[in-house]
Amino acid sequence: MIFKNKSQIRERLMEGVFLVAALASVAAVFLICIFLFANGIPGMAKIGFGNFIFGRIWAPTDVPPSYGIFPMILGSLYVTAGAVLVGVSVGLFTAVFLARFCPAKLHKVLKPAVDVLAGVPSVVYGFFGLVVMVPFVRENFGGSGTSILTASLLLGIMILPTIIGVAESAIRAVPETYYEGALALGATPERSVFSVVLPAATSGVMAGVILGIGRAVGETMAVILVAGNQARMPNGILGGVRTLTANIVLEMGYAADLHREALIATGVVLFTFILIINLCFSILKRRRIG
Amino acid sequence: MKTKQIITTSLAALLVAGFFGCSGSGEKAKEGFDKTREISVITREAGSGTRDAFVELTGILVKKDGQKKDNTTPEALTIDGTQAVMSNVAGNEYAMGYISLGSLNPTVKAINVSGIEATAAMIKEGTYPLARPFNIATKTSGTLSDLAKDFIAFILSADGQAVAEKNGYVSVSQGAPYKATKLTGKIVIAGSSSVSPLMEKLKEAYIAKNPEVEIEIQTNDSSSGMLAAKEGTCDIGMASRGLKDSESSELTATTIAKDGIAVIVNQKNPIANISLETLRQVYTGAARTWGSVLN
Repeated sequence: MIFKNKSQIRERLMEGVFLVAALASVAAVFLICIFLFANGIPGMAKIGFGNFIFGRIWAPTDVPPSYGIFPMILGSLYVTAGAVLVGVSVGLFTAVFLARFCPAKLHKVLKPAVDVLAGVPSVVYGFFGLVVMVPFVRENFGGSGTSILTASLLLGIMILPTIIGVAESAIRAVPETYYEGALALGATPERSVFSVVLPAATSGVMAGVILGIGRAVGETMAVILVAGNQARMPNGILGGVRTLTANIVLEMGYAADLHREALIATGVVLFTFILIINLCFSILKRRRIG
Repeated sequence: MKTKQIITTSLAALLVAGFFGCSGSGEKAKEGFDKTREISVITREAGSGTRDAFVELTGILVKKDGQKKDNTTPEALTIDGTQAVMSNVAGNEYAMGYISLGSLNPTVKAINVSGIEATAAMIKEGTYPLARPFNIATKTSGTLSDLAKDFIAFILSADGQAVAEKNGYVSVSQGAPYKATKLTGKIVIAGSSSVSPLMEKLKEAYIAKNPEVEIEIQTNDSSSGMLAAKEGTCDIGMASRGLKDSESSELTATTIAKDGIAVIVNQKNPIANISLETLRQVYTGAARTWGSVLN
């Protein structure tokens, strides 16, 4: 009897520990939300919401200063779009290959290689970009080398493991009967995969793409090193660009007063972006399950 | 088995990276310096003290009717930190940047500005145009305490100037060695955040010799420091610029050290000199290619 009580107490205790652990992460999210909005919204209001979001000039040290982050919003969007273009095209084909066509021996090599790609720290990616890709783009495409193109290529590589991993498991989850049915109807193996299996895995593949987008939008260190960080409207794929994340990191060290508040408000905009992306992700996920 | 695979893959990746790197540098060596290429103008982030001084000294910052506009070209690459500027210039033949003279190292080349070499000696002579004074100011009419006078004497003495030199600034006077007077009391110093790191070092050295003295350093900006000195809320004001007319009417400025700003390019770049006017054109976007700068 006593023993039973003891184990019950222990069970209750551990339940409490798990609850606290779960609450800690939720609390962290809430605290970040509260901090960001409480510090960012007043600054945004002082500058004027329209002036802040749609202002085209970022000149915080001028008198009077201008705090327009529209160039940075566009910058983040362009770089992310470029990364998705690179990452999805390469990643999707890689996932199809890994899931359907890859010999088992090769799979044993390729899969760990993709996983290693996921574990490389972003500053190492950035350094690789700065030392290898920036001179490569400069010599072969012109410009200074630090550009939307370079940043897109680099981010495209960075989001590959996310897209490949999620898309591959989605493709593998499609029942084998789909594939066999298509074959039985006379389709070639390639056609069966691309016209039957892949469409059946769409929502899973999309989830991978959205996760990749989330990573690309939030990436900071690698982008700062290769994007040029010019705070002006993007002007072409070989011109530099500044992303929202880069704007915050570059100027936080020196910023004071309204300039600082404007940077926190930039964080609010970024956070909103990420929230929207995560919302899309969970909606897709729910639809897949339901 | 798994580790083996990882090693093989990383080796393959290294090989590919090495191939990319080699082919890139090979091309460069063949081509030589291409004058038709655009200048990769590198600037610092808004708010950086070095940027503030640079745009002010070169006239890129335009002041009009109490308004200030930094005309640095929006095409300029924005890089945070002196080291990052240097590594970018070291890796890009067509780049131009600027850094504090004290941080200069042989990975990049400092070019002459208006024919004057960027060295501590030239700044001392006053001929190098991109030098900013570190000033202290005291009230002209009021009576300065003996302690404050002694601290200023220490700053300008051989010992005080040695502290400035040791921390990468250019000394401005060659006074006699300082003799501790063993005074007691308190000095309040306020002003520029650019000068205060040097002032902190000077304070340390002074207190080591006069342990009974208390020195309070308030860091804000040059203008606030001058205002505080005028109103008498501090004994000594600090400014990282020359005094404005409205300030020098009531204050006496003393330059305690100088800091230079070096214009840097890649080691492979043939340029050796740039006029102040051309430098301004490069940084405002009027001169875009190396051809327009080299001729």
